[in-house]
This record gives sequence, structure tokens and C-alpha cells, in this order.
Amino acid sequence: MRIWSLDRLISPVVAAFILALGLLVAPAWAQNTTANAPAAQAVSEQQLLDELGKIQGRITIPDQKAATLQQPQGRDYQSFQRSTLPWVGAVAIIGMLLAIALFFFIRGRVRTQAGESRQKILRFNALERLMHWTTATAFIVLAITGLNLIFGRRLVLPLIGPEAFSTWSSWSKYAHHFVSWAFMLGVLVMLVVWVWYNLPDRYDANWIKSAGGLLDKSNRTHPPAGRFNTGQKLVFWSVVLGGISLSVSGIYMLFPFAFTDINGMQTAQYVHAIIGVLMVAVIIAHIYIGTLGMEGAYEAMGSGTVDLNWAKEHHSAWVEEQQEKVGGRTPPHTAAEPAE
Amino acid sequence: MLTKRKSGQASRTRLQALTGGLAAASMDRRTFLRRSGLTAGGLASLGAFHLGTVKAADISPPQPGVPIELKKSICTHCSVGCTVTAEIQNGVWTGQEPSWDSPFNRGSHCAKGASVRELVHSDRRLKYPMKLVDGQWERTTWDEAINGIGDKLLEIRKKSGPESTYWMGSAKFSNEGTYLFRKLAALWGTNNQDHQARICHSTTVAGVANTWGYGAMTNSYNDIRNSKTMLVLGGNPAEAHPVAMQHLLEGKELNNANLIVMDPRFTRTAAHATEYARFRSGTDIALLWGMLWHIFENGWEDKEFIAQRVYGMDEVRKEVAKYTPDEVETITGVPGDQLKRIAETFATQKPATIIWCMGQTHHTVGTANTRASCILCLATGNVGKPGTGANIFRGHDNVQGATDIGLDVVTLPFYYGLTEGAWKHWGRVWEIPYNDLVGQFSSKELMETPGIPLTRWFDSVSLAKEDIDQPDIMRSMFVQGHASNSITRIPESIEGLAGLELLVVADPHPTTWASLAVKAGRKDNTYLLPVCTQFETSGSRVASNRALQWGEQIVAPSFEQKDDYQVLYLLSKKLGLADWMFKNIKVEGDRPVPEDVLREMNRGSWSTGYCGQSPERLKAHMRNQHKFDLLTLRAPKDDPEVGGDYYGLPWPCWGKPEIRHPGTSNLYSTGLHVMDGGSPFRARFGVERNGETLLAEGSYTNGSELTDGYPEFTMAVLQKLGWDRDLTAEELSVIQPIGDDMGDIGKVSWSTDLSGGIQRVALRHGCHPYGNGKARALAWNLPDPVPIHREPIYTPKVDLVAKYPTYPDAKQFRLPNMGFSVQKAAVDNGTAKSFPIILTTGRLVEYEGGGEETRSNRWLAELQQDMFVEINPDDAASRGINDGGWVWVSGAENNVKAKVKALVTERVGKGVAFMPFHFGGWFQGEDLRTNYPEGTDPYVLGESANSITTYGYDPATGMQEPKVTLCQIAAV
Amino acid sequence: MARMKFLCDADRCIECNACVTACKNENDVPWGINRRRVVTVNDGKPGERSVSMACMHCTDAPCAAVCPVDCFYTTADAVVLHSKDLCIGCGYCFYACPFGAPQYPRVGNFGSRGKMDKCTFCAAGPEQDSPEIEYQKYGANRLAEGKLPLCAEMCSTKSLLAGDGEIIAEIYKERVTQRGYGSGAWGWRTAYRETVGV
Repeated sequence: MRIWSLDRLISPVVAAFILALGLLVAPAWAQNTTANAPAAQAVSEQQLLDELGKIQGRITIPDQKAATLQQPQGRDYQSFQRSTLPWVGAVAIIGMLLAIALFFFIRGRVRTQAGESRQKILRFNALERLMHWTTATAFIVLAITGLNLIFGRRLVLPLIGPEAFSTWSSWSKYAHHFVSWAFMLGVLVMLVVWVWYNLPDRYDANWIKSAGGLLDKSNRTHPPAGRFNTGQKLVFWSVVLGGISLSVSGIYMLFPFAFTDINGMQTAQYVHAIIGVLMVAVIIAHIYIGTLGMEGAYEAMGSGTVDLNWAKEHHSAWVEEQQEKVGGRTPPHTAAEPAE
Repeated sequence: MLTKRKSGQASRTRLQALTGGLAAASMDRRTFLRRSGLTAGGLASLGAFHLGTVKAADISPPQPGVPIELKKSICTHCSVGCTVTAEIQNGVWTGQEPSWDSPFNRGSHCAKGASVRELVHSDRRLKYPMKLVDGQWERTTWDEAINGIGDKLLEIRKKSGPESTYWMGSAKFSNEGTYLFRKLAALWGTNNQDHQARICHSTTVAGVANTWGYGAMTNSYNDIRNSKTMLVLGGNPAEAHPVAMQHLLEGKELNNANLIVMDPRFTRTAAHATEYARFRSGTDIALLWGMLWHIFENGWEDKEFIAQRVYGMDEVRKEVAKYTPDEVETITGVPGDQLKRIAETFATQKPATIIWCMGQTHHTVGTANTRASCILCLATGNVGKPGTGANIFRGHDNVQGATDIGLDVVTLPFYYGLTEGAWKHWGRVWEIPYNDLVGQFSSKELMETPGIPLTRWFDSVSLAKEDIDQPDIMRSMFVQGHASNSITRIPESIEGLAGLELLVVADPHPTTWASLAVKAGRKDNTYLLPVCTQFETSGSRVASNRALQWGEQIVAPSFEQKDDYQVLYLLSKKLGLADWMFKNIKVEGDRPVPEDVLREMNRGSWSTGYCGQSPERLKAHMRNQHKFDLLTLRAPKDDPEVGGDYYGLPWPCWGKPEIRHPGTSNLYSTGLHVMDGGSPFRARFGVERNGETLLAEGSYTNGSELTDGYPEFTMAVLQKLGWDRDLTAEELSVIQPIGDDMGDIGKVSWSTDLSGGIQRVALRHGCHPYGNGKARALAWNLPDPVPIHREPIYTPKVDLVAKYPTYPDAKQFRLPNMGFSVQKAAVDNGTAKSFPIILTTGRLVEYEGGGEETRSNRWLAELQQDMFVEINPDDAASRGINDGGWVWVSGAENNVKAKVKALVTERVGKGVAFMPFHFGGWFQGEDLRTNYPEGTDPYVLGESANSITTYGYDPATGMQEPKVTLCQIAAV
Repeated sequence: MARMKFLCDADRCIECNACVTACKNENDVPWGINRRRVVTVNDGKPGERSVSMACMHCTDAPCAAVCPVDCFYTTADAVVLHSKDLCIGCGYCFYACPFGAPQYPRVGNFGSRGKMDKCTFCAAGPEQDSPEIEYQKYGANRLAEGKLPLCAEMCSTKSLLAGDGEIIAEIYKERVTQRGYGSGAWGWRTAYRETVGV
């Protein structure tokens, strides 16, 4: 962080003017008169602030934002931006990274216990993958550009200098604004396509009780689960609800003051930023478990097909359901509509 | 890359320029115009700016490294007389600096003053002469325009006589422009010439002059700093004269003074009052008499002052007795105990001053209102001392000067009137034989008959010939610097516009004349002449406190604009009057030299004391502004250039410039020697009436050799006193022929003696040239010798009309004034039921007058983008009107309505609405933007309040009544 | 070095808007950008007060704290300025500013709201090499010439004071003592975390 300071030349003219402002000639008889009290009815700033929290008035220009004379809530926003948000963000993200590291250290990579079956089962079709990856890519862009607004000034600016950082931030802001639409669309489609599988079902209680088997170092616990296990459901709902919150608060920010006043804008910021960093943390976990953290998991979204054994271990109920549908046979990976 | 700036480097731009950065690329005026796109029409295509769409062209950025020249002129937006300090680079006005040296504004400005640079640069100005051809505006040349106008004028003159041309001049003229315009109308042969004072303070001038001699502000803005009590009745200086508020508020703070505001509206001024009383618009007399009732009842009057210096107060006492607290509360709505408190404060906490503006004047009883105010001052002895007086805030920058110079239907310059003697006096000054002057008129009778006031110009077009006391109806009109939308009854003025054979508008902007002329269906014989602002010419202007200030030309006009002097020269040449007009005035090219014009004025203006303000003295004052005291406005006596002078030589400044009269800062101050600006009341009304003396008794100015009242000085008086021996031979050589002309040298008076000798001798003896008289509480020559309350023409209190009717119908100023019939019809027809809301009009700080020039100033226009009506929350709620929503305001006459935005506010009481009068360019919901010549439409247009205002004329002056009428408001 | 501040004496302010047009005039501020404005509180009611407001040049300026690209800087006179070259038009400073000072050329959504513009205390900005460009971007640099902001210099009633905080506080105190009332140094507590004790 840099502070630029400008030394300015202040001549005695300034002081002379200031003195000229107030000190005037009073007639001699003016001394011994009784005081009037025109201020008796005058509004006091403190009183207005105490009663209403901010000071609003009338203004002749069309910009009605300007009618807010003072909103001390700006100071709250300042401390949120300066300390609350970076702390929450740092704790959430670094905390998550530490948790993952700890998990990895303790549990290691989750292997498919039964090994590969060489039989594949279609888990996500092309549309679903497109949807996922669109949303995911958008999210990553948004996350990076968003985090840049929180941490860039502290972390990146000192490295690349103000001009480069400003240029980068400017582009990243454009990116954030435009890519956000892809994300919003993705979240909506995801909600429509996957909501059915993410409603609570009979396996959830057990899955939660055994923590999905994740904590079983022997890797023998595999609570049954449908197409999405409870952990995935949590990710889904985090993404959907978080995504919707981000979208709504984001739209408020894309159209400043179109739907709300200054305090509403601040709230939108609070919501957007906090949900944003929390979601980054969740998605970090999601990325970990979908890639490094679990053997065979990436393929589900990568190629769309997973090894049958992997599926049986993690989504036994779903596999059974699929097999019932096709008369006990392992469904071929070309099956068009695995979800139906 | 940002780097730390060293303090040494910081002092650049202007400072560097001042210390001589020479080589930098220079930008002359043409280049700057090209760059800013002005020559190509600039922003002309944009209707109005909208938030967030426009980065306006940089009109005139400072030019680093180019030397800066500082020039001073006077703000053109109100009568405070703020000095404007301009920074000029290469002939371009690139900046404005505070004018610290001016004792009036001390660096300050209001929104308008702080933006006058843009007034000059505005690309919405009229750039070329234009004329209507088949209903379309087309560019023309000055030659063509002047020839076309002149031929038509002469044709109409031949057909209908000189009285059928209306000369509408301007309070925006300099004194010199005013004088030339007045002289041109006189030489053309008509008294149908007028200017904004008609709709501004004509009633003040009539009322106040008829009370104590001169109808002007008695003291000054600065002097209000001395007041212990300030009563603002009918004024809103916070919006109309913001810089005056500096003096009021500082005075209030330093003296712990009372600031009492009485107004139908809770104005921005009222917000700073120590006492505020809301009263019903149009009931000022009842209010003032209500105060006087308490004053007389409690013996708070100044008995000694009344005995020595006031005539006829007993008659007032009789009338005031009728205005009991109950009656006054019924009429005005102000509770008796509050009014008693106000009366006591005004009468006992002295010095007290009464301040007014349009609130008192804009009424059918305007003249009586102002008289009642003066009488309040007289009764309490609040005249002629610091901190007292009638501080009348005039409107325009030179409305005082234009009034003094007689751009008015009732008088020749300087209140000489229209009598044969007056014409002869001016004939001597102009060196034109009296018979030649008579020959210019239709008749000697019309030469001595007041003309038609501009409030009625359209009636003089539309009424039948038989109804007008002159040979023919009005057929042509030459308007130079006057708005059309500041005159009431716009629907009828549109008919008038249709009826005129010729309309000429000479103005920096096309104004609403242009848009309404097209609306009226005019197809041809309509000209727009582009005129300079006062910043593009030089000359003197008079602030409200009667002080003259000389403005320099700040920049030359950018396009084909000509200044007022040039326009009048070209026109008078075309009309064959130039030889008379400029007999003693040098003309350089086509521009008469304003200094010479002022010198001619000096030679003829003895009656008002404009004789001592030579251009040299005025210029010396502008150079030495910093030497004048803030409170007294006087320079130290030992100063070589301006020693002992009051700033701006406020008139009367007696005698020739050489005798160095200091001017008169506070009128009627007997505590001062006449050569220190002391004066008694003017002995204007004779020496006695009905056996009672009209001369002062036991009161005289400090150091006077005559220690009692005395009449005005004539040669006869001098001879009687034996003081004629003090006249020099040179003076006598001037006086003698005048005496011969008059048939008796004894008749030559202080006001007709062109040598200034009589004034000089009177002053030498400590006496005042105009005599030492009493002020008149009873003015026998006015419609109501003692003011009485009269209900407005359109009043919501119909039950009071029987007791307090308006004036009877009569013929005034050549036209019938049917006020009584109109009021009666309104009562009989139940107008107050269909139109239950009182409508009053007034000013906004951002705009001025008709507002075209200020609405064409982007910095101002941005601040008020919509015409509005203020309406009380209760009235709004019962009509389903929301703040900011569109409403129709319908007027009581002509079935007229206006579409404006609602401003729901408690500034106005229940049953009262307020509209600002600066808007124009809309009519009955129709946007007339396309009626302007392309690129000259103001940024902001809106309905004119005067579409809604109604009939009503003060019988003494023809003043309109825009401050009170009735309306109805409904949501759109 | 002086600590520059604004103080609007609301008991003097008459909403004449001279400060607004003086600012436009001196800095050639375009339509729609209002570096300074006058707000009237309790309009039309007894107790009405008008206050002229612009950037207060806060102590620990919120705008500077929340700026994601750190484009603000504070001069030795404690004037809060910013670089339009660095500004990305995100609008955060408006949310943070207790006084509504930051202005943007566009209402804005996807692209950019444009470079933020605000009162510079007539101290312009960081373009030391080119006065023309500096003027175009930020307006005049009066402080460098030993002058104060034109809004305060031209104030019709000497309501708006600008200059060293201690001096203007002293002037204000003197006024309040003399006249016996004062509705306070509006915004000072929020901007400077102190007020003028009278």
C-alpha cells in the first residue's frame, strides 16, 4: 500500500481570507442587547442522526441520492471493507485450506475400496457437464476477480505496481460484470435440472450420522446414497442458495440505486461479499473432493462416466436404481438419460 | 506514474502565468470557439441534458502559461451590485475570481453571480440576426434587419402615428443604454416606452416618492448591518438577493438583531428569522395598520419626529383606528398578540428598517402598500439614520438606473415628468428646439400624457381603437431586453402577438417572445437581433442603494452580437434621428461612446443628482474599491482620488463633479452636513396645504445656515437670501438664457439650472438644493391619500369584498382599468369556489426574471430542471397529488391550465400555492422548443406562471397583480 | 502544515447554490456531476436548515480505505485526492462516503461508471507535468496558488468556510459565542471524529 502525499504551497492569502470571513466591525451599542433565540427551533445534526440514523433533506437536482446529506453508515461500511471482510474472507478460505490439508494429512486420498471394475456407468450427461463447467468456470473467474477487490490491493498491487494493478483490476471488474450472467444462468439451470435429486431422502440421516464415511480411516464405511449424497446435496444447496444470493445482491450492484438506497446498497455489498467468500471456501472443498481428494470422482464431471465400483461405494442406492431401470444389467455408458 | 510532488513545482498554472510564462501555445478567441465546437452549433442538437449522458464541451479552460488580465464588471442578475472579477486570457474569459475589494459583495456571489462567465459563453445565445420567413426562422444580416425594421416602423408611423409603436426597454441596459433608448423614444415622439420597473417597483417609486421625495432605497444593503430590527415584509432576499443576506445575517449576529419575516410563504429567508408570521397574500396594508394600531395605542410612536418632519399623520391615525386586532386577524390571519409583539419590537428596538421587494409591489394596491410601509417608518422615526429606513430591494442590476433615467411612461429622464417645462429642460440639454420636439408627437397633449404601461401592451393591440386614448391601436413593438413571460395574462398576450404588424426583439437570447410569436402564428415581420450582455460592453449601472458602478468590457462578443449602443445607433440612423441623438455624443464606428453619454446625462440630471458622477469619478471608485468602509461605505477623507466619497457616489450626488459632493448614502439624514451626504425630506409638494405647512419644523441638516424648513432653491430664493451674489459669472451666463426662455430668471431652479450654480451655492450654505420639507403621510394626489385595505381582484375571502372593494373602474394610462367589474364578476360567479387555492408567484435563486438567459446557462439550468408548483401537504393529499408528480394548475381566467410538477411542502400554508415566474417555452402542456431558432432554445423550458395569473392593475402605476390570484390544482 | 477542512455554518446557509456554480465554473464540472450540493433539512418547517456539502476530506477517509485499487491519497494539507488514471469506477467509495461526495459520469452497470469525480478542495490531482490535462481531469489547483476553494471564497453569506481546521473552527466558535446559537459543525463528527465545542 502506498500513500502519496502532495506538499502544497499555502500563502498568507489563505489565512488573511479566513480571518476576513468572520471578524467584522460591530457598532458600539451592539454589546448590551438581549439575546434572541432563533436557533431554538433549529434542527440539530446529532438529534437527526440519533432519531433517523442518517440525514435526509430536499434537493433541487434530479439525483435523489444527493438528498442524503449524511450517512454515518459509510463508516461502518469502511470498517467492513477494511477489516471485517478481509478477516472473514481470510479465515474462511485459509481455514478451509487448512482443514483440507488436515483432512488430507489424516485421511489421505479416498480410494475406491473395491478397485476399478472396468465397467463404466454414465453419471452426468453432456448437458449437465456443460452446465456444471460453465457455472464452474464462471465461478472461478468471479471468485478470482471478486477476491481481487478484497485482497488485490494488499497482495497484488505491491507486486505489480499501481498502474498494472489498476489495468488488471479494471479488466477484472469488466469480467466480473459480464461473466456474472453466465454464472447466474448456470445456477438457475442447475437448480432446475438437479433440484429433484437434492431433496432430502431416507439415506441422508444415516449418511450424516456416519459423516459419509469420510472420517473412517479404514475406508470401509460407505453409507448408501442416491444420485447425490448428502455432502453433495450440501454443496448443491450452497451453490444454489449462495448463488441466488450472490445473483440478487449482484444485480443490485450492477444497477446501483435502481432498487434501493445507500444503506440498501451497503447491505447488498455485505451480503455479496460475505456469501462470496464463504462460497469460495465451500467450492475449494468441492474442488478438492472432486479432484485430488477422491479417486475416481473427477471423471464424473470429466468424462461423465464413472467406474461402477466407485459408484456402488458412493451412490449405492443410485446404482441400484439405475440397474433396476435397465433390468438388472449394468447400464451402458451410452445410456442417454441416466437420470430419468 | 505518480510521484511525490515537490512544493516548488506546485505553484504553477496561473501563478506561473502571472510571473511570465510566455512561450506557451496561445489560443485566441476564434481557436477556442472552434475547439469548443461553438461555431458548429456545439451542443445545439441536444434538447436538454440528462444525468449521466453528457460531458459538455470544455467551454473555456484556463490556458496555462498565458498571461492573465483581470477586468471588473458588475453582475447582471440583481440589484446588489456585486463586482465580478474576470480573468481574461487572449481575449477569452477563462476564470472568475472573488472580488474581495468590493464593499458590496466582499468576494461573495450567489449561484447566478458565480456563473456569469457561462452566461457569456452559453452556446444557446442568439448569434446572428434572425427573422421569420413564412413562419420559419432564417438568418439575416444586420443591414437587412435594420432596413426592414426601419422601413416598417416608418410605414406604421406614417399610417398610424408615432404612438402606435411600443418601445419596451430594459433594466438590463446600462445607464447609458437606458438613456439612449429613452431619448430615442422621445425623439420618435411617444411616451409608450417602458421597462421592467413597471412590473417590479413602479408602485414603490410612486408610493415612496410621493411620501418623501424619491422612490428609492433610502439606505443601503451595507447599512442594514446597523439595524437592531429588520422587518422583511414582501421579500425573500435569500433567493432574490442572496448577497444582501450576508449583510442581514452578519448584522443580525453582531447586533443580536431581530429579523422579522412576514410572508405568505415560509421562505428560505424566514428560516433565519427570529420571528415569522404567515399572512394572507394581498393584505399588507391591514397588517401594517394592525401594527400601527398597537403602536398608537401604546404610544410607541416617535412624536417629535412626526411633529418636525411628517405631514398628515393624524389622518393616518384616524384610518388605523379601524384596524383593531380582531379585524386584522380576520383580514390577514395573523394573531393579535403576535402582531403586537412585532409592532413593539419594530417601534422600540431601534434602529429598525423595513425591507421589501415584489411582495408588496405586485398588487393592485401596490402603491398603497409601499406608502403604508413608509408611514410605519415615519411613525416610529425610523428614517434618516443608520440602520433605519425603507430598504427597498430592487430586482435587476440596473432597474434603479433605468427607472431614474425615465424609461417609464410617466416621465422624461430623472423624474422631470412630462410637462412642458420638462420637455423644454431636456430640449436645452439635447440642444433641440422645443418646437421640433413637439413636432415629433401626434399632439402636444399626448406629448404630456403618460403612455401605456407595458403590463397592458397586448390590450393596446387587442382593444378597439375607441377604447384607447390615442390615435390608433398599437401596431408595432420594439423590445430590447425584456421578457414576455414576466407579464401576466399570457393567453391574451399571445393574441396581442398575433395582432402586431411588426415585432422586434433585441436580446442576447431569443426569449419567450420568439417561442410565443411562432405559437401566435406569426409568419413574418418578426426580427431577433443578437445583443451583447453587459459583460461585452462598458457602462455604468446603479445598484439598489443608488450607487453607480462602472463596468468594463470583459470580452468582445463572439459572434455578430452588437451592444445596446450600437443597436440604438443603427436604428436611430435608419429612422433619421441620429443627428439629434448624437449631437453631443461621440460615435466611434457605429458605437456611441458611453462615457460621452454619461457626460450628457450629468449635464441634465440635476433633479436626481446624477450630475456629479462623471465617468472619471466612477472609474476611480472601481480602482479604489478596497478603500471604502464596510459599514459607512465611505472612503477616508484624505484619499487623493476618492477621498470622502461614498462608494459609487449614490445619488443624489449634487453639483458638477468638480465640487466633489460625496453622494448620499442614507437619504434624509439630517444628522450629516449636506456635503457629507446629509439631506432633509424633499420639499416636493409645495410649501403649505390647507393652511398647514409642508416644510420641516425645527429640523434641518447638520451645519445648515437655514435652521428651519425651506422650499426648493430657485433663483428667486437665492435672490431673496442674497446668495445669488455667490454665483460666478460663468454660471450666470448659463442661468440667464434659461431664465429668458422661462420668462423669469427667478423661476430657474436647482433642477433646471444647467450650470449647477444654484446647487453649488445652496450646498455652500449647508442647505439642500431641493429644500427641506415634510414627508407626507397623507398624499392627496394618489387614489387613496391614506392607504386602506382593499381585497385583491381574485380573493378567496369573498365576504370581505363588500367592505374592502378594489378601486372603481376608471380610465388610466390611456386604457380602461376594469378591476372593479372583474372583481364583482368573480364574486358573483363564485370563482373562489371553483378555484379555491390562492396562487402566488416569486423568484428562485438560480433564475432571474423571465429566465431565458439563466435557463440557457448550463450551470444554473442543471439546478432547476422542472417548472413546479408548491402545494401544501394537506391540499396535495386531498387531491391525490404526490411530491414530484405532474399536476395541472388551472387559472381563473381564459380557461387556461399549466402542466407542472408538484412540490409538496409546508413552505406554503393550506390553501396556498406558489409558482416561480422564471419558466417559459411551454404553453398549456405543449412544449414549444421547436419554436426557437435552431440551437438557441434554453436548456430548461417549462410552463409560465403568468399563463395562470389574472387581471388586476394598480391605478397609480398600472402594476399587474401576479402575487395573488386563484387557481385549482389537480393531478394529471 | 495546515489541516484543510470545510465547515458549513448552517445558520448562515441560505441554499443560494453559489458554492455549486462556483465549483462548476472553476473546475468546468459537466452536467450531472455535482461535486458540491446544498441539502435542505426540514424544508418549509420552522427549524429548516440548509447545508452545503461536498467531500469533507475526512480523517481516515472511508473512500480511501475501501478503494480496491488504492487510488486515493492524502496531501500534506490533509486534502483527500485521487487518481483518475487508477480509478476503475467501481463505486465503492460512494457506498463508504458518509457525505455522498463521489460522482460518476454514468449511472453505470456492466461496463464502467466512468472515472469517479469529486471535490478536490480545489487542489486538482496528480498530473504534475501537464496543467492542461490536470485541469481537464480534476479542475483547478487553487491551493497551489495560495487560494482556497472557490465555493467557500464565493459563498454569499460566508456560511461555507474552508481552510485550516483550527482556524475555521475558531471562526465558527466566535460566531456562535457572539450570536448565542449554532446548529453545529455539520458532518464534523463523522468526518473528523471531532466537533467544534462551543
